Formats: sequence, structure tokens, C-alpha cells
Amino acid sequence: MLIFILLTQVLSAQAQTFKIGFVGPRTGSAAATGAAFDEGIQLALDKLRADPEYKKHPIDLIFEDSGGVPEKATAAFEKLATKDQVAIVVGESHSSSALAEIEVSNRTGVPFVISEAWSDDLLKKGYKTVFRAGPSNSAVVHGSIAKFIRDSKFKRVVVVAENSDWGKGIAALTDEALTHDHITHSVVSVDHEAKDFYAELNKLKNEKPDLIVAYIYSFGMHTFISQAREVGVHGLILDGAGPPSLWPEFWQNVGTAGNDELFVSCMHEKVQPNAQAKEFWTNYKKKFGHDPSDYKSRSAYTAVLLAADALKRAHAAVSADVIASLEKTNFHAAQGTIHFGNQGTEFHQWAPDMLVVQWQNGKPGDSSTPQHVQQVVYPKKLATGTMMTN
Amino acid sequence: MNLFLFTLLSGLVSGALYALSALGVSLVAGLMRVVNFSHGEFYIFGAYLSYVFGIVFGLQPWIAMSIAVLIMFLCGLILQWILIRPIYKNQSNALVTTFILSIVLQNIAMIVFGPNPKKPPNYIDGVVRIFGFFEFGAQRLMAGAIAFVILACVLLLVWKTNFGRAIRAVAQDRDMAEAIGINAGWVNSVGFAFSVALAAAAGVLVAPIFPVTPNAGESVTLAAFVVLVFGGVGSIRGCLWGGLILGLVEKFGISYLSSMYSQIFGFVLLVAVLLMRPTGMYGSKV
Repeated sequence: MLIFILLTQVLSAQAQTFKIGFVGPRTGSAAATGAAFDEGIQLALDKLRADPEYKKHPIDLIFEDSGGVPEKATAAFEKLATKDQVAIVVGESHSSSALAEIEVSNRTGVPFVISEAWSDDLLKKGYKTVFRAGPSNSAVVHGSIAKFIRDSKFKRVVVVAENSDWGKGIAALTDEALTHDHITHSVVSVDHEAKDFYAELNKLKNEKPDLIVAYIYSFGMHTFISQAREVGVHGLILDGAGPPSLWPEFWQNVGTAGNDELFVSCMHEKVQPNAQAKEFWTNYKKKFGHDPSDYKSRSAYTAVLLAADALKRAHAAVSADVIASLEKTNFHAAQGTIHFGNQGTEFHQWAPDMLVVQWQNGKPGDSSTPQHVQQVVYPKKLATGTMMTN
Repeated sequence: MNLFLFTLLSGLVSGALYALSALGVSLVAGLMRVVNFSHGEFYIFGAYLSYVFGIVFGLQPWIAMSIAVLIMFLCGLILQWILIRPIYKNQSNALVTTFILSIVLQNIAMIVFGPNPKKPPNYIDGVVRIFGFFEFGAQRLMAGAIAFVILACVLLLVWKTNFGRAIRAVAQDRDMAEAIGINAGWVNSVGFAFSVALAAAAGVLVAPIFPVTPNAGESVTLAAFVVLVFGGVGSIRGCLWGGLILGLVEKFGISYLSSMYSQIFGFVLLVAVLLMRPTGMYGSKV
């Protein structure tokens, strides 16, 4: 009897399935991010299934739609933690959803590694179960956007931010940074579900900005760009989130208004920091038949691999062990080597470096090159082209 | 001065589109005493059909838009016959039925078209310089102008034609209308189909400006009900004035007060009107 019990324990340990939960918006205003997440997840699962190390640990990944709204996100996380009993949850792109999910994570004890929700408030409470392997508002503003504005010598900046948890937080940080750098600027808040920005744009036109930093994480960004040109706003526009400028419908929705538009990203074909980045790019192209464009696909890819790595190193798929394993992470990802800080503002946090990329026209008359190309314009040491001004 | 004129024009254009969006709801509410919760979904399906014919089949925008509205009119006839005709005399059933219809239509849109916005082709490009003061999107101006024309045509139809007289008669007193030989069933069918076509017309005009998503109909239905209650149930004039005032209040609120909570202005106005005149501007007391 004892031998039988020991045998079943050994066999089950040998075939222990890693249950990973993933949360993200498959519906709602940022459903395109959910589609990008799906792509990254597929690539990660392909890689794990081909890896002999994971033959003993089949991966069971369950994706729950958080819809970009807190109430749906809470229910999604709750289901993963209680009904599906996953060992770890990763993902999320909306700060408002993530703020709800961290409470469930803390209450249920299921570790949560946030990929793409940027609000600094997510880690402020110091919950042991919550980690972030992705950008934060502070990192993006102080590490990229504020430096870009200063170094590019913009003189008049208008910050337009949606009134979401993310938008308000990142706008406040940008306001502080621009004040510190003595750059003339103003901040305009807009409804996060707004699609009509005519009134706001007509007002800010009078300030004659040479740069508008728009923190709008939805297809509203597209109407913002096209309406800006309609009412005669001529400064450059910087998409402070990034993905809306990369969604498939971007050019159909904005037309020529998208020319010279800037956006933040942490991925570019010519900026491949390591072998993992090159592998991701190659495998993506092989699987989907085109270059990856939305960096959130790579974020999801990394998140799933990171989760599998943490579960493999954990003694058991129980909360305390998985958390301890995450805290000892030293994972070589496409974005860089991930290891989480253990105190202060770096507690359970790791952020990749961000780029500022500009849409520029391809070679006119040359049908072998795309009509619109992405050029990295900042930081200068990684630039693939010169910033165009209009 | 620039800001004032810009806001005024913007408000009038938005208002005309709100009025057009709400007109169908008002017509059905007045005619059949049915509150149609799926009105916004007819709006989005008009827009989606315009997208299909314009982008997928490559038809000229005006042809695509016209075909879309015509198809929605026919769909309205069918839906009225199958769903609304059996239940419109029971207001609770009608409410539940149209609510369920809206959910079904939203999900069909999600399955068929996906969650990402779809934008039909522009029917006019460029910007217009308004009296040298400011620039305004030509498409937006055209949408507002067409909305005004449609509203005027509907007013003429209702007040100057035999069909309009029949609609008003059935809306006032169905039994008496039937007694004098008006086919109330036929009026209901055409009236409902017409309301669906009006929703679709609003959709095809607006979708090239604000691309359509499966749940975009919710805000359209909400705005339509604000206009309906504000203007008075069943009143087309109320619809027109309600829409215009809503558009102006919203745009002036954003321009001069705050852009952060743009949707609140209409509701504040609605509450104020309901406190002062519960039947709405042109509604009659029961």
C-alpha cells in the first residue's frame, strides 16, 4: 500500500502540470491588446512544448478576459484562483483592472506577475504576491519620455491624458518632470471613453504646441490623431502608450494624419538586445507570416516563459514557494534579464528600457518597401533614423 | 470668439446627429408605445453594412450607405413582423424583448466583425475653413448637414403627407384610426422599419468619423433616451430640439467647464428638465 502511494506521488510529480492563468482584455476598447497577447502566448507555449525540460511539466494555460474593466477583471482573477486553481497568474494591460486584481491576488495568495499595467500604485501597497515584469509609469516617464522631450529640445508641450488610473498617474508624473525641466507645458484631461476631441483640440491649438503627448489607451487615440490634423493642430504627437499606434486598423483610421506620429515601444526589428529577442522575432515571423508590430505580444510571451521558469524552480506549486522562486528570478528574456528588486520603489519590480519610435514614409515608388516604416528616434545611441518634424 | 463659434458649430452638428439617432426611438415610442432598447444596435448594423459594402465590396461610399439603409429598412419590416407585432400591446414584454434583442445583436456583431472598430470609407475628405476663423472636418460638416435634411424631411413627411397623418392618427388613438379605415398594422410595420432605417442612417453618417464597435450602440441608445425624455416621448419636434440642446450643452460644457467628464452634462440637463417639466419639452401629460 505504501509503495503504491509512493509510486503515485512520484508519477504525479513527474507529470505535474503547470497551471498558469493569464488575464487580459479580449473584449472592450483594447481588445487588440488581447489579440497581441494571444499571439505571444501561442509562441511561448510552442517554445515550452518543444523544450525537453517541460516534458515533465505540461503547461495548462487558461486565459480569462478581464475586458479592461475592474469588475470583470476581479471575476476573471477570482475564477483563475479558486475554480481553476492556477499556481500563478500573469498578464494584464489595464491599470484599473490590475488594481482590482492585486486585491484578489493578495486575498487568495495566488502570485500575480503584471506584464503591461503601468500604474505605480500597483506595487505601492507592497503585497507579497504581486510582481511586475514590465513598464511602470515612473520608468516610462523618467527613463524615456521626459528625457526624450528634454534632449529633443521641445519648447511647448501639451499633455493630454485619459481620466483612468493609468492616465491620471502618468500625466501627473509627466507634469512634474516637465516642470522640473522648465519646459512650458499644460495638461488636459479627457474622458477615457471619449472619441470626440474636437473641443479640447481646438482649445489647445491656441497654445501652438510643438509636441502633444497623448496618454489615451484605446482606439480613441486614432480619432485624436485624425481630429488633431482636421482642426489644424500642427505639432508632433507622441502616443505615450504605444500599442494604439501599432494596431492593425491604425492607418485605416488615421490616414495621412499618422505620418510622423511618435509612439513608445520596447521592441524594434533593428534593436534586438539579445538572442532571445532575435529568436522571438524569427519565430513570430515564421508562425504568423509577418513581422511583429505590437510589443505586447512579446510581453505576453515573456510573461508565460517567466511563469513557467518560476514554477520549475519552485519546490512545489504552492503560493509561498512560487513567491520565493519569483523573488530569486534571474530570467533571460527578450527584453533583458529579469530580476525583481527587493525594497523601496524597486520592490518586486523590473522594467524594460523603452524606445521612442516614429512612423515615417517608406521609399515612394518602391513597392518592395512598406509604405510606412518605424524608425527608432530615441535614445540616440539606438536610433535607426532621424526624427522628422512637421 | 473663435472658441465660441467653433463650439457652437460643433454643438449644432453633434445635436443634429443626436436628434437623428433618437428620432427612430421617438417614432416607435409614440406609435407603438414600445421602448426599443435595441435601437443602438440597428445603428451599428447600419454602420457595419456600410463598411462591408464600402470596404469589403469596394462600392462607392454613397452607394454603400444607401444599400445599408435599405437593407436595414427591410430587416426592420421582418423584425417587426416576427418579434414586435406579437408583443407590442404588452409593454413589459416589449421592453424585455427589445433588451434581449440588443444583447443578441451585440453578440452577433462581435462574432461576425470582431471587437476592433470598423471604419467605412470617407464620403468626403478634407477640412473646411469656416469664415476664416477656424478649420472644421468636411465629413463632420456634411454629416451634420445631411442629418438636418433628413430631420426636415421626416418633419415634412409626418405633417404634410397622408402617411404622416396616418402615423399621427395611430399614435393618438389606434382604435379610432382603425375605425376610420387606417390599417394600423401596416402603419406599425412601416413605422418600425422606418425607425430602424433612421437609426441605420445615423450609423452610416457617423461611422466614418467614429469607427463602430459591437458595443458602440449602448451609448447611442443612452443618448437617444436622454433626447427622448428631454424632448418628450413621441414628439418629433421635441426630438429635434432635444438633440440640438444636448449637443450644444455637451460641447459648451467641454469647452468652457471641463473635458474630463464629457458625458455628465447631458444627464445634468436631463435631471433639470425632468424636475421642471417631467413630460419633457413637448411631451403631453397623461
